[in-house]
Amino acid sequence: MKQKRSIQTVQKSVASFFSDHRRMPSYAEMINLFGVKSKSVVHFWINKLIQKGIIEKDQKGHLAFTKNAFGIPMVGSIQAGFPSPEEEALRDVISMDEYLVTKPDSSFLLKVTGDSMIGEGIREGDLVIVEKGREPKNGDIVIAEVDGEWTMKYFIRKGKTIVLEAANPKYLPIKPRSELRLGGVVTAVIRKYHQ
Amino acid sequence: MSDILFSLHSWPQAILHIDGDAFFTSCEEAIHPELRGKPIIAGGERGIVACASYAAKAMGVKRGVPLHEARKKCPDLIILPSDYETYSLFSRRMFNVMRRFTPQVEEYSIDEAFADITGMRRALRASYETIALNMKAEIVKELGITVSVGLSLTKVLAKVASKHQKPDGFTPIPGRMIAKYLEHLPVEKIWGIGHATTNYLNKMGVRTALEFARLPEDTIKKRFTKPGMEIWRELRGEAVYPVNQEEKSTYASISKTKTFSPPSNDADYLFAHLMRNLESACLKARGYHLAAKRIVAFLKRSDFSYIGREIKLNRPSVYPMELSPELRHIFVDIYRSQDLYRATGIVLMELTKDANIQYTLFEDALKAERVHDIYRVMDEVSEKYGKHSLHLGASHLIEVFGRGKRGEPTAREKTRFPGETKRRHLSIPILHVKV
Repeated sequence: MKQKRSIQTVQKSVASFFSDHRRMPSYAEMINLFGVKSKSVVHFWINKLIQKGIIEKDQKGHLAFTKNAFGIPMVGSIQAGFPSPEEEALRDVISMDEYLVTKPDSSFLLKVTGDSMIGEGIREGDLVIVEKGREPKNGDIVIAEVDGEWTMKYFIRKGKTIVLEAANPKYLPIKPRSELRLGGVVTAVIRKYHQ
Repeated sequence: MSDILFSLHSWPQAILHIDGDAFFTSCEEAIHPELRGKPIIAGGERGIVACASYAAKAMGVKRGVPLHEARKKCPDLIILPSDYETYSLFSRRMFNVMRRFTPQVEEYSIDEAFADITGMRRALRASYETIALNMKAEIVKELGITVSVGLSLTKVLAKVASKHQKPDGFTPIPGRMIAKYLEHLPVEKIWGIGHATTNYLNKMGVRTALEFARLPEDTIKKRFTKPGMEIWRELRGEAVYPVNQEEKSTYASISKTKTFSPPSNDADYLFAHLMRNLESACLKARGYHLAAKRIVAFLKRSDFSYIGREIKLNRPSVYPMELSPELRHIFVDIYRSQDLYRATGIVLMELTKDANIQYTLFEDALKAERVHDIYRVMDEVSEKYGKHSLHLGASHLIEVFGRGKRGEPTAREKTRFPGETKRRHLSIPILHVKV
């Protein structure tokens, strides 16, 4: 059956190849990928992708996705009835990087080692992004040093006192006796299931 | 004497200098909070103190001394390998915070930067002092390290100011106060004044920065070279050096050294390191399209004395393959089997653009072109598979012995997240806290 190729289908096939192989396909591989017969047709589509700013050639002529290409397009809500043209529904894009790390100059990574936030769904081995210098709000998850020990807990303000509560009944709430030093506020949790 | 006025205006320009306090160890304390306030040093992999924390400095541990001496001074010393990956992430963040206030930021070194905030008072609705303090506060808050800030009229004075109070200091030197800060400052502490100039000035009876700044212009013109004249003007509050926001795109010289412990007297091993120094220096030079006309090679003995030789080439080159016979000559000349050596080093000098290099009359031009082609390919390979994936046989011994005894890997090297490889890491520093 003859398929109609569009710039979207071509982009999609290159992107899925890239996510499977972690590299860009060669022209020869793209012949099969796009279902075309010759490299010159591949070349034609690659030029289209370059023009659209989806991929770029580096100084050595290697193909690479541009930064924008990795942003996951946020398509507006799906409407029943008349399909709206895709372009109208597309918003501007942000990369996963920008989505996860909103303050790149004050964020740190931390690997979780304990189970004190298990009720929040934060497991041992998860990565959390910690923003230093952010003022914690009631209910935020914070990294704090209490009486010489570091913990990750909910930050609860009860009147004038501050209580650190775990999301695990095993641990009792902590009322800092001497001093409470904040390491930062947890702004995101990352868990990867595959390499 | 301190009421001499160099400038009637307090702020004809406003230049900031920010200097990280014990930068390497401060970064370590920021990511290992349990180390805060303890005597720690970075530089374990080199066998010398590259940076000592203030707690270690208080115990008498100084920069540049060998580890065993440092341990004698302070038995509880915590020795860490330098984690340049993390330090450069912190460094970049520090510069980024500064750029929130002004685009004119000069990254002077990994832990130092200048910023020109002249004319920013209205835009930021704050005095120059407040702008400086805000910049400092944001760095402290977001990076968790302290910095010392100097604010003055010129780069040289801003550097005087940032050194005035350390750590965690802030020193503004407005135009009217210049003399007060220069009064007790020895001339050798001025940025840009080295050994030779200090001796010369002392012979003229000039010992403090103020005495230097007060020399009459005629004397300066007669007795000093252009750099001396420039420093003199900067000290008097006249901005000569611009805050240069462009990235460094060229070098006057490139040097590469390697310290290894324990010291060695194995000729092949030493030569391999020297050769690797040459390869690294040439690789960097090629990256900037430079070629060297003069090359210095040196060995550092275990008693910290140096021995070295210089070669002048009959045409510029950046290819170790062409240079290795010359390097071999030097090495044979300076190496003594009864001595132990702790470091090797190479300096490339008289760097010129590598385009249009004229071959000499009796040279095999074809061979030279071939070497050029080989290195073009080698650079592509190292771009893809890491530096020195392809190297000369003479430096191969390093791969056999391992790249010198590097000691403990850094905490960052020991951590690998899913999907990271040895050469590709996430560009966010890691907090090493157990929670």
